[in-house]
Amino acid sequence: MTSRWFPPVVLFLVLAFLIGPFLIIIAASLSAGETLAFPPRGLSLRWVFKVFTVESFQASFAVSMFLAIGGTLVALVLGVPASYALSRYKLPFSEGVRLVVSSPIVVPGIIVGLALLRYLVIPFQIGILPALFFAHTALILPYAVRVVSASLNNLRSDIEEAAVLLGSSPTGAFFRVVMPNIRGGILAAFILGFVTSFNQVPVSLFLSGPGVRTLPIDMLAYMEITYDPSVAALASLLAFMSIGIVFLAERFLGLSRYV
Amino acid sequence: MSDAYLDLAGLTLAYGDTIAVHDLDLAIDQGELIALLGPSGCGKTTTMRAIAGLLRPKAGRISLDGRDITRVAANKREVGLVFQSYALFPHLNVFENVAFGLKLKGLPAREVEERVGAGLRSVGLTEFAARRPAELSGGQQQRVALARSMVMEPKVLLLDEPLSNLDARLRLEMRAELQRVQKASGVTMIFVTHDQAEALALADRIVVMLNGGVEQIGSPEEIYDHPASAFVADFVGFENVFALNDGKLDTPGGAMALAEPPAGVAGLAWRPGSVALGQGPHRGTVRGTSFAGSTREYLLDTPLGVIKAEADAGLPVHALGEEIAFDLPVARAAHLARFG
Amino acid sequence: MFQNRAAAYALVLPAVVFAAAVFLLPVAVLLSESFRNEAGGWSLMPYVEFFSLGLNQAVFLRTLKLGFLVTASAAIAGYAAAFAIVSLKPQSKGRMVGLVVLPLMISPVARTYAWLVILGRTGIVNQALQTIGLTDEPIRILFTETAIFIGLLQLFLPLMIISLVSALENLPRDAIPAARVLGANWLQVFWKVILPLTREGLVVGGTLVFTGSLTAYITPAILGGSKVLMLETLLYQRVTVAGDYVSASVIAFILIVMSFSTNLLLKRIATARNRT
Repeated sequence: MTSRWFPPVVLFLVLAFLIGPFLIIIAASLSAGETLAFPPRGLSLRWVFKVFTVESFQASFAVSMFLAIGGTLVALVLGVPASYALSRYKLPFSEGVRLVVSSPIVVPGIIVGLALLRYLVIPFQIGILPALFFAHTALILPYAVRVVSASLNNLRSDIEEAAVLLGSSPTGAFFRVVMPNIRGGILAAFILGFVTSFNQVPVSLFLSGPGVRTLPIDMLAYMEITYDPSVAALASLLAFMSIGIVFLAERFLGLSRYV
Repeated sequence: MSDAYLDLAGLTLAYGDTIAVHDLDLAIDQGELIALLGPSGCGKTTTMRAIAGLLRPKAGRISLDGRDITRVAANKREVGLVFQSYALFPHLNVFENVAFGLKLKGLPAREVEERVGAGLRSVGLTEFAARRPAELSGGQQQRVALARSMVMEPKVLLLDEPLSNLDARLRLEMRAELQRVQKASGVTMIFVTHDQAEALALADRIVVMLNGGVEQIGSPEEIYDHPASAFVADFVGFENVFALNDGKLDTPGGAMALAEPPAGVAGLAWRPGSVALGQGPHRGTVRGTSFAGSTREYLLDTPLGVIKAEADAGLPVHALGEEIAFDLPVARAAHLARFG
Repeated sequence: MFQNRAAAYALVLPAVVFAAAVFLLPVAVLLSESFRNEAGGWSLMPYVEFFSLGLNQAVFLRTLKLGFLVTASAAIAGYAAAFAIVSLKPQSKGRMVGLVVLPLMISPVARTYAWLVILGRTGIVNQALQTIGLTDEPIRILFTETAIFIGLLQLFLPLMIISLVSALENLPRDAIPAARVLGANWLQVFWKVILPLTREGLVVGGTLVFTGSLTAYITPAILGGSKVLMLETLLYQRVTVAGDYVSASVIAFILIVMSFSTNLLLKRIATARNRT
């Protein structure tokens, strides 16, 4: 294991396998040619520009953003109080609560999408977008609870008692003393939820309709009919966006501490 | 209602279904320095938390300065608590920590600054006002916690094991600090500890607790010289404790009759130093010996069980295995009112 | 201080009600649909009918087969990569782990799409093979089980690597030298020392990879198309092409059982470890 050639060779192969394809896509998207090919014939940014002009992408980007930001916010509003109660109070059903709230992770997204379509959208005439919103929120909820719980468990409860004895109400103690100290955890949960929601495909498969499509679904549809490098350009752009967010989070927050 | 400043009457405290403190009565006068002393699990910390309002009593009453506070919320009791972990707010600096309670009261900024400044001065931490708790040593953190509670001018100040986490030198410093602060401000102070040396050194009165009840309340001298029960005797260093039944000492080797047994006494206890070594009606074998600076300690195997004795270090040493005479003079025994 | 039970229930209620109403209930109803016969009563007929079709059997077995293959391959490659990473200096180690984790942040659509370019008829693999002279014509790699295998492996390998790195870091430092001094060759060292001691990390990684492979959609959809179906792509097809909701429910139930039981196994092993 300590032989000199082993680590570099293995790591090169593994990284080439994991990241290589992605680099190829970036290169292919910079091609000046008409079709998707690697190595690219000439270099040009025209396909990158084209991505921004496709109308449906603009609409689906907005939908995905709305779902990612809104869904994560609601998941936090639901999840932060729940994590707090679970970590500070000894409730008899706490394991059951945790199970219910974490269950979306165990169920494949495609099933969630189908179930919501059949039993929420169609019978109750709830629109596709609200149903999508519910689905995404439900998917992010387990992450919100898990990450915030980790932060809360690391925070001693006696500072809340100290705050109360100094005159604060229990609710006031939560906002004055607990929130500032789990801010990092909440932000980490937000970013994790955002990225998960944005890249999510299976849930949205059945919950798509006229004018309501998430970006990845739109990409899939586009890929089926288009064979020019603009798809590669879109894939590259999205990848950079995800990586960028996570990189910034790690830089300024130390994201890895909370996960 | 009693006239005491802080009065606990018939207090029963429980965690879920487990009773931690049973029917406790305690009357404390204003300005006293009280120690709640006992082994872990005796209920001392539970009692402290009940006084603070962090635990709702199952039964009984707590009154403070003439007011019944049994049902009063913890944030309205005017009771201060210095936690064993200090519980400083990590996201605030020293000044903001100490100012926390004052700001909650809505005091004008000028007054807050004055009082915080005075508080920091009284614990010698003025230059640390801008530091964060993480940048402070344990002793400094504790002083910030103390200042934070003191600036609120509480009616009662509770301290949870204030000296247990400190090294020997800091412990002496902090002990002196606590005494000084208490005498200067006249605040009624109650601290919880498992260390009898601390209780004896600091307190005006000691409340010895065991299994959710009070074993004995008294001044340090009373507790030290006249323990009321076998437990207290053992706790304050009486190593040789025996029950007294029908004028006979109950020993592992059988009942031993005494020449002039004291009346109405349930047990007798001897300190190692009170055992007369070298002469007496009993004989024992030296099982172990250790040097303790100014004295030498001896562990003796005897017909009365294991006896722990002590002799001046200057005297000739008794070797391991040596047979030696000894006596337990009744005159030098503590009389125990209760045994069990 | 935390004695007010009523407040605690009020705090968890919104999350629980939301999860139950919007998620558990609809999914439960969907699953129950798979146990009904035409008359509306309880029956296992849908499952019997489902498995009596050759196509369905093939898809089911293929999904399982690929799941195991990907997991086994990920284990081997994962151990190799994890050993390599663990032997690095701390800063390089951190950077390596970061690079390995990086792909996880990218949309699976983007990651899988890359393989279309690489494995296609005019893709680099074929170009390379033809240049070397191994074949005269482009061979078909896309829309085969091999393509899906490659895609899934790339998708989930990082998870296995992270699990194993974590497990290897917790290996007692002297375990390997001790075994070597006692005369073990590298194979024996791996089998008798490393494997048992990193068992938990292997199980964690394995569960993640296995469950992920079983319940994958995008990769089989892009790289398998409608020619090589996996359980989830079959589900999608049954609903959109044939409106066959019953089959969809059956598949859904199978997927959940597989996902749930592997997660349960994971929890069991984790708690068993904590007790020792």
